[in-house]
Amino acid sequence: MGQFIVGRILSGIVVIFGISILSFLLIHFIPGDPVRIMLGQNATPDQIERLTVYLGLDQPLLVQYGHYISNVLQGDLGTSLKTGQPVLTEILDRFPQTVKLAAAGISFAIVIGFTVGTLAAKFKDTFIDRMAMGFAMLGVSIPGFWLAILLIMVFSVKLGWFPIAEGTGLRDLVLPSITLGVLASTIISRLTRNGMVEVLSKDYIRTARAKGLDERVIIVRHALRNVLLPIVTVIGLQIAGLLGGTVILEQVFNWPGLGTLAIGAISSRDFPLIQGTVLFMGIVYVSINILVDISYGMIDPRVDLSMKEES
Amino acid sequence: MKKVWNKSLISVGLLAIFLLILSACSSDGSTSEKESEKGGDPGKGEEVQESTTPVTGGKISIGLNAEPDTLDMHKTGMALASIVGSNLGAALLAVDPETQDIKPHMAESYEVSEDGKTLTFKLHSGITFHDGTALTAQAYKDTFDRAMNPDTGAVVAGSLLSDVQEVTAQDELTLVIELKKPSAPFLVFLASGGYLQPLSMAAIEQHGENYGKNPVGVGPWKFNKWETGQSILLSKNEAYKWPQYYYENRESPYPDELEFKFITDYQTKLAALDTGSIDIALYVEAKDIQRYRDNDKFEVKELERQGLGLLMEMNTENEKLQDPNIRKALNMAIDKSILVQAILAGEGTVVDGPLSSNFFGYDPEVENYGYKYNQDEAIKLLESSGWSKNGKGIMEKNGKELSLELLTTAATNQQAQIIQAMTKEIGISIEIQSMESATLIEKAGNGEFDLAFLSYAYSDPDILLLLFHSSQGALNHTRANNPELDALLEQGRTEMDLEKRKELYIAAQKIIVKEAYWVPIYTEKVFHVINKRVHGVKNSATDLLFHDSWVEQ
Repeated sequence: MGQFIVGRILSGIVVIFGISILSFLLIHFIPGDPVRIMLGQNATPDQIERLTVYLGLDQPLLVQYGHYISNVLQGDLGTSLKTGQPVLTEILDRFPQTVKLAAAGISFAIVIGFTVGTLAAKFKDTFIDRMAMGFAMLGVSIPGFWLAILLIMVFSVKLGWFPIAEGTGLRDLVLPSITLGVLASTIISRLTRNGMVEVLSKDYIRTARAKGLDERVIIVRHALRNVLLPIVTVIGLQIAGLLGGTVILEQVFNWPGLGTLAIGAISSRDFPLIQGTVLFMGIVYVSINILVDISYGMIDPRVDLSMKEES
Repeated sequence: MKKVWNKSLISVGLLAIFLLILSACSSDGSTSEKESEKGGDPGKGEEVQESTTPVTGGKISIGLNAEPDTLDMHKTGMALASIVGSNLGAALLAVDPETQDIKPHMAESYEVSEDGKTLTFKLHSGITFHDGTALTAQAYKDTFDRAMNPDTGAVVAGSLLSDVQEVTAQDELTLVIELKKPSAPFLVFLASGGYLQPLSMAAIEQHGENYGKNPVGVGPWKFNKWETGQSILLSKNEAYKWPQYYYENRESPYPDELEFKFITDYQTKLAALDTGSIDIALYVEAKDIQRYRDNDKFEVKELERQGLGLLMEMNTENEKLQDPNIRKALNMAIDKSILVQAILAGEGTVVDGPLSSNFFGYDPEVENYGYKYNQDEAIKLLESSGWSKNGKGIMEKNGKELSLELLTTAATNQQAQIIQAMTKEIGISIEIQSMESATLIEKAGNGEFDLAFLSYAYSDPDILLLLFHSSQGALNHTRANNPELDALLEQGRTEMDLEKRKELYIAAQKIIVKEAYWVPIYTEKVFHVINKRVHGVKNSATDLLFHDSWVEQ
């Protein structure tokens, strides 16, 4: 077990190292002089020179990377060119909002996913099953920003039930989390359905039914529990995905999280901030992945962690 | 060479400041239109009610396209920051919203010396900063000195003051500004309440690095709070009793709060306007404007860009384009009215010269002497230069086809395609190169282009010096090199007599059109939509003006 955890963490570090190289190289991928692009038309040669030196772009690539990574290891992701604030401060300012949104989104996804999946399994091969799976299909196919705009048009503009661009209160959270929920629920509902169908045909369920247990108790207490395991993994991955993947939805719902920060950084050509958010999101994603893997082993002792590592 | 480049970059900086500055061409027009609409309305009682006394209290909420970088007016490079900042401060001078004349504001009066190099301002007494310190000539001097200090890094504010030799506080309320040379545009800069407002040195010392999030000025609104990623909230300055002369309200603002919300997504901004989350949406696109005109809940403010929304620059050092006949033929090949219809849904005006009609010094005659759409004439011009159409319908000379490269950004790709089709009809083939705007400006600046799209906005015809002066023109992408034009533009910069100055610019426009450095195409309208629960919003050359505004409760 311990060996597995260490192994996962080590491989995670390798991945994060790779991300750091990519985010570092970002600035070198831009055609033309990045400093000139960052400073725009207003720049004087003096400013260009100062920023070039400040960013260390006058030094050899390896030296630059060495500086970069040693700063990162000390928790210094650089300074935002736009606001002059440390990049890490900017990110940590916004991160709670993204966590809040992702948490609300995943809660919706779980509720929708389990309900739809269970219904589909319970009424397997009926109209309800087909409707439920059709819904799941729709969730996969609809582009997130489109669903977001549709919900805004209907529930904010036409019906006036939910505010838009008012703040980050509970009512503001509803539409974005429904959108995220619908999008993220599709895999959950499919897995739930398939797992349920299998479990519901098991002998112990038949036994439970024979004992005359209430159908609801059978589904919730006996069946659902056994379906949970693979779904927990997926939910874990979904959370990781949501934390980094709400970029466009945050934009549409004007949510002040990491996504709007990243887009703002891109449009104002704030490269240290772009690099910082890319690296940060990468670290979050990898860390959650590791946690999920570890929890997987803890939830189900049958999973042989050391074997999994070798494979 | 290096020196010239240095200077030109500063001038480009200046230009950039004005890229977002809008002009009020038709404030009168839109008001009278609105009134006539109401006249036709059977509910006449309402009209009387509309003009009733303003109500105090409430909040006006405005959507901004992005989050400002800082509210330290010396450190910001964003026009958006100055939109917010201008509410926190006030300027020495004011531009009349209708006549564009320069009038005193924070200065009770001002004098320009005979040689135009010494400006003396008498400040109003009794003006205080939000933190209670008094506004003195010394405070102004300290502010300007800070902006001019290279260590401050005041890109925009510093370049606005680049002609200043020295600022002195003669006594408590007398401020003297010595210029290196006379500068006609400088007075307009001093009317910028955003960048050149006085700042409280006490607050700058107290907050240090964090001053940008705790700004202190002398304006009608006080900084209240900044919610990162969401909004900036200002509350009214109860002590404010020095609004510009053109406001009816002589006291502090009617509403309690003024809020700026950052909404980057355009569709979301409109949704926020529709739901009432914001009261004012700036920069609504022409394609969406009809639906707000048709909706009784909203008032549409229609301004016209002071500058050109689209023009095509031609590189006169180019082997083919150095022949003026080709440049003129291109001018005649393009049917600009089609572009106005197709691209702007008709919400714009065709332009024949380098200035739009709302500029000081605009020559109305340009509508006669400017080039008109005329394909036959264009073909004749090309033929007189020895070109003739080949089998593919492209003009050819000595075995070389007349093909040119047009630089554009993604935003103007459609315009490029329409023009490509139009020039093809006279036998000029255009190849479109789409790129990022910073790259385009860089390439055009280096002369690595045949044709390039550009747009500009500015408040003074002095922009022509940046665009066409052979040695001082930072944006002289076309490589214009005409000594007569250079002289006119240099004189225009320093001539303080308005009538004489106008004549200089009229002469300059004639040369620019005759030389056909550009194909001027159109200038577009700019729309701001206001929820009618907000009353009394006016507009000036540069901004919407809120001091007479009040909110229905």
